[in-house]
Amino acid sequence: MRLLGQIATRLISYVLVIAFGLTVVFFVPRFAPNDPVEAMLAQVSSQGAYMDAAQADALRASLTDAFGLKGSMLTQYWNFIKRIVLTGDFGPSLAMYPTPVSQLIAQALPWTFGLLLSSTLIAWVLGNFVGLWAGWRPNRASSRIMEGLAIIVYPIPYYILALVLSILFSYIWPIFPLTASVHGAPWSFAFIRSVIWNSFLPALSIVLVVFGWWVISVKAQTTQLAEEEFVRYSRLKGLGDGRILTRYILPNAILPQITFLALQIGLMFNGAIVTEILFEYPGLGHLIYTAVIQGDYNLLMGTISLSIVAVATATMIIDLTYPLLDPRIRAR
Amino acid sequence: MTETIRKPRRGGIAVLGAALFMASTMLTAAPAFSQEMTDVGTPRDQTLIVDMLNARVSNPGTMNPYQQGVTINHGYHQMASALMWDIDTASGKQIPDLAAAMPEPLNKEYTKFRVKLREGLNWSDGKPFTADDVVFTADMIAKTDSIAYSAAFKAAIKGFTKIDDHTIEIETTKPTPRLTLVLGSLIYGNPFHVVPKHIWEKEDPATFTNFPPVTISAYKYKSSDPNGSWFLWEKRDDWKNSDIGQIVGEPKAQYVLFRSYGTEEKRVLAMAQNQMDILTDISPESLDILQKQNPKVKAWFGGFPYANLDDPCERGIHFNTSKPPYDKAETRWALALAMNLQQASIATFSGMLRASPLALPPTKVLMDTYHKPMVPWLKEFALADGYKPFDPDYAIKIGEQLRSEGVEAIPTDPDQLRDLLGVGWWKFDPEQATKMLEAQGFKKQGDKWMTPEGKPWVINILAPADFEVQSQRLAFAAANEWAAFGIDAKVQQMQGGPFFTAENTGDYEVGSYWGASCGIVPDPFVRLEGWHKDYVRPNGTAASSNQGRYVDDVLSAKIDTLRSIPADDPQVVPLGTEMLKDLVKGLPSIEMFGTSKFVPVNETYWKNYPSADNYYEGPWWWWSNFKFIAAKIEPNKG
Repeated sequence: MRLLGQIATRLISYVLVIAFGLTVVFFVPRFAPNDPVEAMLAQVSSQGAYMDAAQADALRASLTDAFGLKGSMLTQYWNFIKRIVLTGDFGPSLAMYPTPVSQLIAQALPWTFGLLLSSTLIAWVLGNFVGLWAGWRPNRASSRIMEGLAIIVYPIPYYILALVLSILFSYIWPIFPLTASVHGAPWSFAFIRSVIWNSFLPALSIVLVVFGWWVISVKAQTTQLAEEEFVRYSRLKGLGDGRILTRYILPNAILPQITFLALQIGLMFNGAIVTEILFEYPGLGHLIYTAVIQGDYNLLMGTISLSIVAVATATMIIDLTYPLLDPRIRAR
Repeated sequence: MTETIRKPRRGGIAVLGAALFMASTMLTAAPAFSQEMTDVGTPRDQTLIVDMLNARVSNPGTMNPYQQGVTINHGYHQMASALMWDIDTASGKQIPDLAAAMPEPLNKEYTKFRVKLREGLNWSDGKPFTADDVVFTADMIAKTDSIAYSAAFKAAIKGFTKIDDHTIEIETTKPTPRLTLVLGSLIYGNPFHVVPKHIWEKEDPATFTNFPPVTISAYKYKSSDPNGSWFLWEKRDDWKNSDIGQIVGEPKAQYVLFRSYGTEEKRVLAMAQNQMDILTDISPESLDILQKQNPKVKAWFGGFPYANLDDPCERGIHFNTSKPPYDKAETRWALALAMNLQQASIATFSGMLRASPLALPPTKVLMDTYHKPMVPWLKEFALADGYKPFDPDYAIKIGEQLRSEGVEAIPTDPDQLRDLLGVGWWKFDPEQATKMLEAQGFKKQGDKWMTPEGKPWVINILAPADFEVQSQRLAFAAANEWAAFGIDAKVQQMQGGPFFTAENTGDYEVGSYWGASCGIVPDPFVRLEGWHKDYVRPNGTAASSNQGRYVDDVLSAKIDTLRSIPADDPQVVPLGTEMLKDLVKGLPSIEMFGTSKFVPVNETYWKNYPSADNYYEGPWWWWSNFKFIAAKIEPNKG
């Protein structure tokens, strides 16, 4: 009964967090000094289209109407909430009018998800493995080398690292493309090969940076745990290193890593803005960037709302499943 | 967003430069691929690869030019579509494209016109192009309110009528002596795209994707990346039945590939590797790196100043003249005289800029029409206190400075220098600026200027962030100059949306802008008409022109006259000259330089690109008239 109450409370807070997030996402761009109609008019004007005052005013009114920006902010908010709750529709993109936001997100989501899920999981597994080993046997040469590599790579600004990788593997030794550009019929072998080939460098750049963080964090945990009394006791009991590491240290060291991994997966819906811009990768980060600079309210609301829901859901799942992973929580 | 005075970040370019320097020790030059295929499966030596202006397209599956957010400058705009009238940028004249001639006015009020259409043109599906297509397009736009352009179109055009298969009549809602401006390209393009009636009459124009499109020019759609990073266009078998076939002849490239590599660093790498033939605008630092990496890469000029200086826009410092202290011409003049333009030029683009004292860009055509003929007047022009601000030797002085700094190939002939770097600019005279400011009530306390109200004078220059690099750097250069003069000048950088919103709504005092419209033809209408007082809106309300809220009754009266006469009227240039004088006197904006475009081309596979020595067109790869250039580019078999 108590458990059911806890789940219900958690679900209510989940709904409230999302409602609050959506409200913020609606109002914040509208308080920014950025009018998508003016941005679109400036684009038309900078492209040399001459319009006199009457023509420009007519176009302005027409775009304001088409973009759904007529009426008070409260009216627009109410329409937005109704639309989201009833249909899950974010309307048309303003910068890419009239393409629906949902279509743009659906197009970008698999790319971001594929890139970030694979690179995050690879970095997580590798980073935790190396960090665990480096923390357990800190004086071994292999530990020092791997840890040193992580410490060197981790602080390099991501943009610089990605650019250097591009120069190394797309210019000096041109085995990967400069930017992502896929070929082949959808889901054909050629297409899948092209996706992997095009995603390799972006993924490598993410893995290298994130890997360092996982190594450093799990190594700190492991070093601390290795000094704990229960580990000393197990050693005195005569247990082997492998057993101590996998049965006593790993389960303790990995808990915060799992929490952080789940959050990282939730944050995936933000895309990887710098990666996607630098590699011309067709993901959500690129869309968010376009939405921000163009003042595309609808696209911004669509992409960020998705992220809010994803992070809130990931957090809720962690909260609900944590007792299964950590007996101390169950005992409470 | 506010930043102290500093140079914009150039970290990426610096890393690129360092890395490529190391790379150059390993590679003598980027290898040219022999008989290679492009990554889209076409023979490289038959494929002209062009940089896409706006990077990757997020909605590549639609090419409906009447949907406001649809990008078409991935080749549709440049290679596949055609306008009624386009522009010859070398001569600065509009030319007929789908029309067979310029419009013939049918009344002296300029409200009715007869237009002959080009005969013998076919759409890419083989159907003939006729007056039915043009009239259908006009009717479709007028009847479809959900097309954003519809309202603007109806405000100018009453209707099109078919006379015969290749003749139409156009009626306007008001006197329109410049019909070709409303329906044709002056720079870049025009929203009026004729569509094939037999395709579009079955569709809803507001939702129709027009993909793949049926085209009218010499190229047709071949294939594209579903994620929008490339678009391939193939020469039509019946290219003779296209506008280009009739006007230029057979285009040489079998394929034209519009390709996006994203950031400037990647675009430079792509050209260094011969994966790109034509790049849109890059920075001078990138051009330097690129030419060192790939000797086949050519700039507009073979030596200094490398850039094309004939862009139709000019850059400078604009004021919101409705806000004190910028509402007084004396204050604006003082700020102009407090600026050392030589230093500003070197700080912006290492001196590779042509100065402009006038509110018309210093392009070759406009230099001959206005800048040079107005020099005698500029020399004699005096401010209210009798001070003559013009310095006709600006080009000579900066030429000497650049020469002394080791820049090669700077002309020594004064006339050549003035042709290259401008007819002159305002004197750098801090003493005169001080005198003028003190007369306005400004005071200098220590080394800092105080406003007439006794507060420190702070100037926030609004500047573009990460786009329009010349205006961005110019803002920092101006801030440096004014800071040296004792004003607390800062630069506030903004992304496109907020930047233009601030400009249009008057939410700025001083900004590094380039004016709403740019002009390339001798008729100054497009560039100067926007200064009319009837465009002025209260601050907070968006204005489509005259964002500086400048009111000059005399100038507005002259604009009214200009509005009533056609572009080829003999009064146009004298009237334009008088208007430019008014703008010098009032100085609502401090015009500084024409725009320098660093637009490299790669001669590994192709040659006969336009250049300073081969000036058959300007380097406007992203304009609708690119198809005229592309048709003249030849394979470089050597």
